[in-house]
Parts: sequence; C-alpha cells; structure tokens
Amino acid sequence: MLSKITVSPAPHISKKLSTQRVMLDVIIGLSPAMVAAIVFFRGQAALVLGVCVASCMASEWICNVIRKKPNSLFDLSAVLTGVILAMSLPPTAPWWMCIIGSAFAIIICKMLFGGLGSNVFNPAMAARVFLTASFGAFMTTWTIPATVGTVTHQEWGELRTMATISVQNTPTDETQLAAVTQATPLGWCKTVIRTQKKAAEAAQKRDDLQAKAAATENLADIASLKLKIEKQEAKVQKAKAEASEAYATLKAQVRKAFIGDVGGCLGETSALALLIGGIYLLIRRTISFHIPAAVLISAFVFAEVFYLVNPEKYSMPLLQLFGGGMLICAFFIATDPVTAPLSVKGMWIFGIGVGMLIMLIRFFGAYEEGVMFAVLIMNAFTPLIDRACKLVPAGGKPNVN
Amino acid sequence: MAEIRGQSTFPGGSHPPENKQLSENASIQVIETPKQVAVLLSQHLGAPCVPTVAKREKVTAGQTIGTSDAFVSAPIHSPVNGTVKDITLQSHPVIGRTTAVIIDVDEEGNEPKQPVANQFTKDFDPTQYAVEDICKAVQEAGIVGMGGAGFPTRVKIEPNPAMPKEVLIINACECEPFITCDYRVMMEWTWQMMAGIRLAARAAGCNKIRIGIEDNKPEAIKLLQKCVAELGDVGDFTIVPVKTKYPQGGERQLIKAVWGKTVPTGSIPPTIGVCVLNVATCAAIAEAVVMGNPLTHRAVTVTGKAIAKPGNYYVPVGMRVEELIEHCGGMTDSAARVVLGGPMMGFAIADLSTPLTKTSGALSLLTKEDVTKAKYNKQQTPCIRCGRCLEVCPEHLNPTKIAHAVKYSKLELAQDYYMSACIECGCCSYVCPANIEVTGYIKTGKLLVARAKKKLG
Repeated sequence: MLSKITVSPAPHISKKLSTQRVMLDVIIGLSPAMVAAIVFFRGQAALVLGVCVASCMASEWICNVIRKKPNSLFDLSAVLTGVILAMSLPPTAPWWMCIIGSAFAIIICKMLFGGLGSNVFNPAMAARVFLTASFGAFMTTWTIPATVGTVTHQEWGELRTMATISVQNTPTDETQLAAVTQATPLGWCKTVIRTQKKAAEAAQKRDDLQAKAAATENLADIASLKLKIEKQEAKVQKAKAEASEAYATLKAQVRKAFIGDVGGCLGETSALALLIGGIYLLIRRTISFHIPAAVLISAFVFAEVFYLVNPEKYSMPLLQLFGGGMLICAFFIATDPVTAPLSVKGMWIFGIGVGMLIMLIRFFGAYEEGVMFAVLIMNAFTPLIDRACKLVPAGGKPNVN
Repeated sequence: MAEIRGQSTFPGGSHPPENKQLSENASIQVIETPKQVAVLLSQHLGAPCVPTVAKREKVTAGQTIGTSDAFVSAPIHSPVNGTVKDITLQSHPVIGRTTAVIIDVDEEGNEPKQPVANQFTKDFDPTQYAVEDICKAVQEAGIVGMGGAGFPTRVKIEPNPAMPKEVLIINACECEPFITCDYRVMMEWTWQMMAGIRLAARAAGCNKIRIGIEDNKPEAIKLLQKCVAELGDVGDFTIVPVKTKYPQGGERQLIKAVWGKTVPTGSIPPTIGVCVLNVATCAAIAEAVVMGNPLTHRAVTVTGKAIAKPGNYYVPVGMRVEELIEHCGGMTDSAARVVLGGPMMGFAIADLSTPLTKTSGALSLLTKEDVTKAKYNKQQTPCIRCGRCLEVCPEHLNPTKIAHAVKYSKLELAQDYYMSACIECGCCSYVCPANIEVTGYIKTGKLLVARAKKKLG
C-alpha cells in the first residue's frame, strides 16, 4: 500500500486542465468557422482541411521518430496548426501545396526550433508566407462560394468586370463556372468609391454648365447650353443610379461577409462563425480579451483615421474588421500563447502592433492580406516586448539598501 | 438572514475546490496519549534549540526540553510525563532530518491533556496583565505562528519603539482547502481566542483590531460579530469578511484585503505598522498567559478522502503521523499522498514516523483523483507560455520565467525577476496546464541562492 504514496513539491492538487484541453478548446472555437467553410465551399474546403491536418500530424510524428522523442501527437498542437493553416488557404489550394505548407509549418517552424513551446514564429502563418512566396498564383485565386449556385455566361461576364483579380482561364461552358473567381468584399468597396466619384464628377460638370448659362446673355448660347444641361442631367441621373446600385451591392456584401457567403480563404468567409468561436474561447478563458481587443481596436482606429482623411481612397473601417483575415487573426492566430507576450501590458503592445501592421499592409502594401506578415513581425518582437514589460512585484521593487 | 459577502480581497489568486465539508462540523476531540512521542528541536523559523535534557532522564509534562539563546527562536517543551529514550535524528516535514527528543511515555499518570477553553468567559480582563508579563509568558511557552510559518510570536508582539504597531490583524481566513482546525477553534474556543487577541493587542500596543475571515464561514462570522458586540466598549474592534479565494490567508494578501496597504517587497508587516496573528496562536497566547501552560498540544485537522474518520483532534506535538492515522481508522487503499499541512502548501512526507510539529495544522491524505493523474505520474509537458501563472500570482510575479531560469541554472536571472518575493503559495503550479512544478522550481532556486550566500559569507 505504501508503495503507492508519492512525494513532490507543493501544491499537491492541480486544476483539471491540460495542454491538450487548451488546444482542444481552440479547435472547438474554430469549429463554427470550419463548418461555415465546408458549407460555403463544399468538398474543396473539406479536402484542404483534411490534407493539412493529416500532413501536420504526419510531419510531427516523423520528427518525433527521428528525434527519438515520445509521441507528442496527443497534445493536439499539430492538429491545431493544421486547422489554422487550412483556414488561411484559399479553397482552390491544390493538395500538394497543402502538404508542402504543413510540412514547412511543423518541421521547419516548430520542430527545428525545439517543438511545442519553443517556436519563435507562428508555424501556420510562417507556412502561409512560404506558400505565398512560392506559389503566388494559387494563393491569390479566390472562389465564390458554391452556395451562389451555377452562374450563367452573361452573369459571369458581369462578375468578371467587377473582379479585381484576374481570372486564369476563361470558362467555356457553365459547368466550369461553379468556381469562378470573384472580387472579395474589399473589392466591392472600391467599386462603390469609383461609381460615387463618377456621379460627383458628372454633377459638378452639370453645375458648371448651369453657372455658365446664368452668366451668358446670348439667347442662342443659352438654348444650346440648356440642351447640354439636359443631356448632362441624364448622365448625372445614370451615374447616381449606378452609385446607389453599387452601394446596395456593397451593403448586401457586407451582410454576406458577416454571415459568410463571400469569397476568400476558408477562415475568412464567416465573421459570424469566427465571432461565435472567439466568444467561446473568451468564456472558457482559454484566451484573455487583451490581444483580440487590442488588434481590433487599433485596426479600427487606424482605418477610421484614414477613412476620415480620405474616404475615397480608403474603405469603411467596419468592413476592414469583418473582411479578410482580421477576425481569425484577432481571436485565433495572434492569441497563440507560444508566440505572444506573457504580460497584460505586453499583450496590449503586441495586439496594437498587429492591428496597425495589418492596416498598414492593406493600405500601402503589395499584398491585399496583411495578417500573416503582421503576426510574424510582431512574433519577432515578442521576446523584446516581454523584456520591456517586466512585471513589478505587488509590493513594488525591493529596496536595494 | 442576509448572506454575508466579503467585499475586499487581493489581485490574483485561484479557487481550488474547498473540500471543507469533510471535517468542518466535527468538533475537536481529545485523543489518547500515544506510547511514544518524538519532539523535534526545530519547530519554528530561526535558530534550532539545543536539548536541555539527557538520555534516560525523567521529564514531566510541560517541562522545557530544548532552548536557544538566539533572539528569533522559541523553547520546546515535553507534552507528556515520561523518560527520554534517545536524542537522535528524525524526519522533519520541512527541513529533511533534524534532532528530536524521543520520549517513552509513562504508563501511569498520562491522562490526555484537555483543552482549557471552558475557563474563559466574556468577562476576561486583559488589563490585569502587564505588557512585560505577557511577552515573557509567550516567550516561555514557546509560542510560534501556528498558521504554518512558525515565526516566534514574542518577536512579533513585543513592543518595538522603532516600528510602532497600529493594527492587529487576526488571520481567520484558513484559505487552504480541506483544513478546518482554525474554524473549529473559532467555533469552540471562542472566548479563549478572544482573550488571546486582546492580550496580544495589549502587548503589541495596537489600538485597532481586525479579524479577517473568508465569507465561506458565515457561522463563524456571525458568532464572532456577536461576541464583539457582547464585549461592549473595547475600542476599535471589527470583523472584516473577505472574499473566499486562495491564498487569502497569506499574510501579505490578508493585509492588502483588510487594511488596504501593501507590505513592500522584501519587507515585513511591522514596517507599515501591522501585526498579524493566526487564531490558533491567539488561543495559545491566552492559555500561556493565564494558565502558564506551554504550547505542547494543538488542534489538528485529519482530513482527505483517503482517511477512514476525518475530523479535528487535540493532539500532542511530537505524535507520529502513523499513530494519528491509526487513531483515525487508517488509510484507505486509495491513498496516494500523505501531506503534513494542506494540499496547496503542505509538505508531502514519505516517512510516516515523522512527528507533528507546532505548525502542523493538518494532516491531509489525498487520493489519486485529488492529486490528478497527470501530476501523480509526473507528466510534465513543455510550457506553452499561456500566462495563467502570471494571472493567478498574488505577488504579481512572472512564475514561469523564474521557474525556467532556475531549471537552466540561471539563478541571477531568477533573482532579477524577483524570485525572493515569491510567497510559495502554489497557485502557479495549481493552474499550470502543462503540470510544471513551477513553485517547486522556485523553492529550489531560493534554496540554491541561500546555499550560495552561506558559502560566500
């Protein structure tokens, strides 16, 4: 009986919480977004998810075997890396690209650094950067969700004019149209800005003509000017109609972006699903609110400032929050504990940095998606932030004398 | 009656399952005198005692058997009538092995000592005792802080012109899970404890008294409030219910909650005019001053899901753990760990012949389920820097940083992150999802630093 009694340092009880449970919680938090991705992109999304998770687990297992370490698959961190990587890939990503990305994430970015807890950079984000650099064309092809249904040839032509990103192949028949490329919400926004500008220009021209008519006394001139004004008036009406139509589309698209029926990466489709997952993590206290709050607030403030200065060039701040990888980054990627600072103050600095960098890259960078670079840059700063935000004990710094 | 809710607390902390129901309603029972006791000569913080008796010498109950000339120390007394069998090394729950006086108990004349609480009433008048007499009685009775640290009480309550004390805070929190001995002392030895509090306040020159008590003990709060009301005009004397949170009973945390002030890092409470005493210590003070009895017996909670009869017992200091377990019906087969003290800060013992000391308030017998399987199997996984330890640390430290610095022998880095400010409450290890013995590493680090200092100086 006594052989069963063990000793160890106090405390002798511990909370029923394990690394495995923490990882499982994040996976559960991501599951609404995964379901949304599968609903909107069907088999393509399921394939990307499956291949990424399986190849991440295989990579981890191979590393364990080579390093002669115990099997670490049960801590679920490899599964989580696979899920996050899949969520940041477009649904059209070919299977071999998923495998290369997963292997890069696990072998290079995690295991070579020493395994779980020792990696400097977020493995999934580093892998995404690697894939973007290596296979740019595949990474920037966005598909419209399968739920949109079959598109007719004519509709496709319209879609194409609105698309900001070029299409690789012109489809020859309707069957190929199911996965036609489409503008992302950020693209819709630009259309609205363009049409509104056009309407404003037309109205300005009409006003100029009216002013000219009022200034002249020659009757013949007035008659011809009146004709011109009428013509211009028609143009203004048309431009205005176009602008309001584009605005209506945008509004519909914003609503869709929130629910999820838009083009983009697997994890960028449904803001609603991501929010549900994020709230789950906050309730479970798997993540603290600091990093998500810092990312979203700083990105919003940054976008708002630019929007106020030049609303024609920069799109609506709210759209920036719900569009692209912002939400998945705020709740699931930037909060990766291994690569984020430890202290509350550090978390704020880290989150603000991520949010601002995302917006900077979106506004001024060559890539439309700034999340991966923003996260990696701030990951590199994490040790410095931790050192700068050294905690002061509750009783203040001890008196050296 | 409206529920009592504590308002004040400290930042950080955790909520381990309390499990007090196992023993909180069991009144303190006197147990049979054991056949042999082993009285350790180091039961307090400070210099260990040297034996004043020789082998084969007869001793009587209450006789001094160990003393020390050091300022921070407390004498040791025999709890029984008997013969010194040996003076030898024995297992000590905290410091490994140390000298103990082993006494074979006489077969006759060893009726178990009874508590003296029934000799105190509300009419007790502390002013009939001079301050010097109180301090002298406390010193001679060998009273030390009975909450766990074992700091000699005389040093705490003695008037010190350099650091005048304004307030006496009574630590009635008992925030450790499982333990109920202080609760029983409050409920059963109420007037004795009150007398001790007033004597201590008189000696220390404190004109304000606060009793800090967690709001999970509403019965005790009501009882104490009634008692203070019955005392009538005794000056500024109030009960302060505080939030139930571990480690609310930590001295520094209690001061923050009750008095609103923070004891500076590396400093002690008297520097901000505060004196903190535990309830059991107060009861011992009253007995020492009024009856002249030395501290030889104390209330001990025997608890846990692996003991047949959990309860609270009046136990002679020096009784061996195995005998106490035997008296409580023995261990069940599910026992996985024997802990002297509570599960959060107590010391796991491997040698069941270890004797109880003045500071052992509890003996916890934990099952594998309590310890959790991963901890029992010592399955540690890498730190994922989740920051939970920073969140719960009541001293606002960076436990994982310190622990890993110690792990990789970077003691200077550990000290740079204020390792010495750690109160070793164990919250960080408790919440760690990777099961890392954070507190264990920090304790090791402190020990290594102390050893290095000793070598130098």
